[in-house]
Amino acid sequence: MSAVEAGGEGAGAPSQAIIQVTDLVTHYGDRQILKSVDFSVNRGEIMVVMGGSGSGKSTLLRHLLALEKATSGRIVVDGVDIGSASRKQLTELRKGIGVAFQGGALLSSMSVADNVKLPLRQHTRLNEDTIDIMARLKLELMNLSGCEDLMPAELSGGMLKRTGLARAVVMDPKLLFFDEPSAGLDPVTSVELDDLILKLREAVNITMVVVTHELESAFKIADRITVLFDGEIAKVGTPEEIRACDDERVQNMINRRPRKDPVDANKYLNRLTAGAR
Amino acid sequence: MANDQSLESPGVVVGTVCAIGRSAINAVQQAGRLAMFFVTTLSRLFYWPFPFAEVIKQIHFIGAKSMPVIIMAGLFTGMVVALQFYDALIRFGSVDLLGSVVALALIRELGPVMAALMIIARAGSATCSEIAIMRNEQQFDALDCMAIDVYRYVMLPRLVAAIIAVPLLTAVVDVVGIGGGYIVGVLIQDVSYGAYIGGMVDTVQWNDVRMGLIKSVLFGAVIFCVVLAKGFYLHIEQPVSGAEGVGRATTEAVVLSAILMLFTDYVVSAFLL
Amino acid sequence: MYELSRHLHYQVLHLHGEVDLNNSPKLREQVLDILEQGQSLLVDFAALTYIDSSGVATLVEGLNVSKGKSLQFGIVGAGGSPLQVLQLTRLDQVFPLFAALDEIKE
Repeated sequence: MSAVEAGGEGAGAPSQAIIQVTDLVTHYGDRQILKSVDFSVNRGEIMVVMGGSGSGKSTLLRHLLALEKATSGRIVVDGVDIGSASRKQLTELRKGIGVAFQGGALLSSMSVADNVKLPLRQHTRLNEDTIDIMARLKLELMNLSGCEDLMPAELSGGMLKRTGLARAVVMDPKLLFFDEPSAGLDPVTSVELDDLILKLREAVNITMVVVTHELESAFKIADRITVLFDGEIAKVGTPEEIRACDDERVQNMINRRPRKDPVDANKYLNRLTAGAR
Repeated sequence: MANDQSLESPGVVVGTVCAIGRSAINAVQQAGRLAMFFVTTLSRLFYWPFPFAEVIKQIHFIGAKSMPVIIMAGLFTGMVVALQFYDALIRFGSVDLLGSVVALALIRELGPVMAALMIIARAGSATCSEIAIMRNEQQFDALDCMAIDVYRYVMLPRLVAAIIAVPLLTAVVDVVGIGGGYIVGVLIQDVSYGAYIGGMVDTVQWNDVRMGLIKSVLFGAVIFCVVLAKGFYLHIEQPVSGAEGVGRATTEAVVLSAILMLFTDYVVSAFLL
Repeated sequence: MYELSRHLHYQVLHLHGEVDLNNSPKLREQVLDILEQGQSLLVDFAALTYIDSSGVATLVEGLNVSKGKSLQFGIVGAGGSPLQVLQLTRLDQVFPLFAALDEIKE
């Protein structure tokens, strides 16, 4: 770990880290969401970011995707400093990155096949026949054969998610972000999706960052897990290390115990009566 | 952040001042966003290749699909204008002017405004909610992450289509409206055919047509700029997300675009008259 | 990215290095060209380190064209990452796979 941190300062990212986040602080309005987060992902690994709602995990993801501006801190993805990158650099970077959004985020005006082909049509000069086969291959991989001509509005939640994943991997990215793969899926589909993630990694050695709150799926697919809690990193480690971790917040999460904050009697009373005297 | 302060109830005077200040800041922010949005979208005109196919598709949506409602609006506008002017002109014994008056009113003023209102109601609101839903479903985030320029592929075609379609629809309103005036004036009230059509030909000049054209082009730009931006900035402007946010954004877009359209109408008229 | 040789009545396309979005159009041209000439084709994966899905799609297209012309089309010496890519999409059950050129006799 220390070698990675020391190497992260160099612009060329000499270490094996593909993502290096240093001292990231973010706000939403006046509210601080992330409080000094340090985070790194190595090439070829599956990093799962876990945390309850409001822990800042979605915010972290949005910052890694350069969809938000940070208050302070540095994010380097594949050698590109996102905070200071030009539009052109960002475009080049994004061509090598796939993102599967929670609800699929398919363009509602296009069929499934056109959605999947969109990045290829925009960024490559491949022949339309090749693009056709590539899109079908990815849909086949996601168990979606025969859905090419359906519109997003006709798909179920799980199908939307898988189409989104097909689109995310259609350019064979080296880095894949996946937001909540199992949220809203039935258990069987969710397990299938986990297997698919593992298969993808094995075959094409893709680096993955998966944001989830599903414990089972996290422990199954992760090489390393980062546990976020209230905008801070509670623990980073392999699934075994996380299980063995004696941090109370991490244990509460693993054992699905609700959080127990100490009660400040005065403040609590104040909240209940809205300050009326 | 605005909500925190309003909870504390700081007294009537201070509260009022705060509220005025907040809405002033909001208005300025919104104006700035609109202007930036418009400029950014137009800057994509110079990128190659230009998305022609999408523009055609949008012209079909804004233009062709609005035809029935536009024809109805034009017909009744022309008829009621002819009716009112007939009633006024007959007091001066100058009903022969009916054709000129109806044509001028339609071409310079009512044609562009009626067409714009109908487009706001039909295509504008639909476009706003479409864009807002896209924002809501993270489609814009996805496009960003695929390094696909949202302004270029989503916004520009719609804006260009509106700028093309609104003048065309305005022309339809003008023609159908003049026809409506003909029905009321010539067929019902017995104004002579020659006076109605001939008077029109003599009075209407290129300047009048140009004014209508300029207005309708600007209306198309203003309406769609508002409607697109209101949907696009859903996540910044609306306190609630989801279906309710989409609904609110659409309502606000309809109201704001109608008001800005009428304001533009006055400014253009003042300049060109 | 590739060299050509002959083996029996086959044209052999020896791929080496990486096949990706940038060079797969060239590969496509070559594959279709050979099949157009009515020759059966073997694609040698032995020196191939990486093939992306545009490369795989190109080969799928080639296989399909060869079927239409009743020519033969096979992959030789696939292993490592390229083989895993084929297995991921279950194409190992679609392409005739051969371990080495010697294995192929008439």
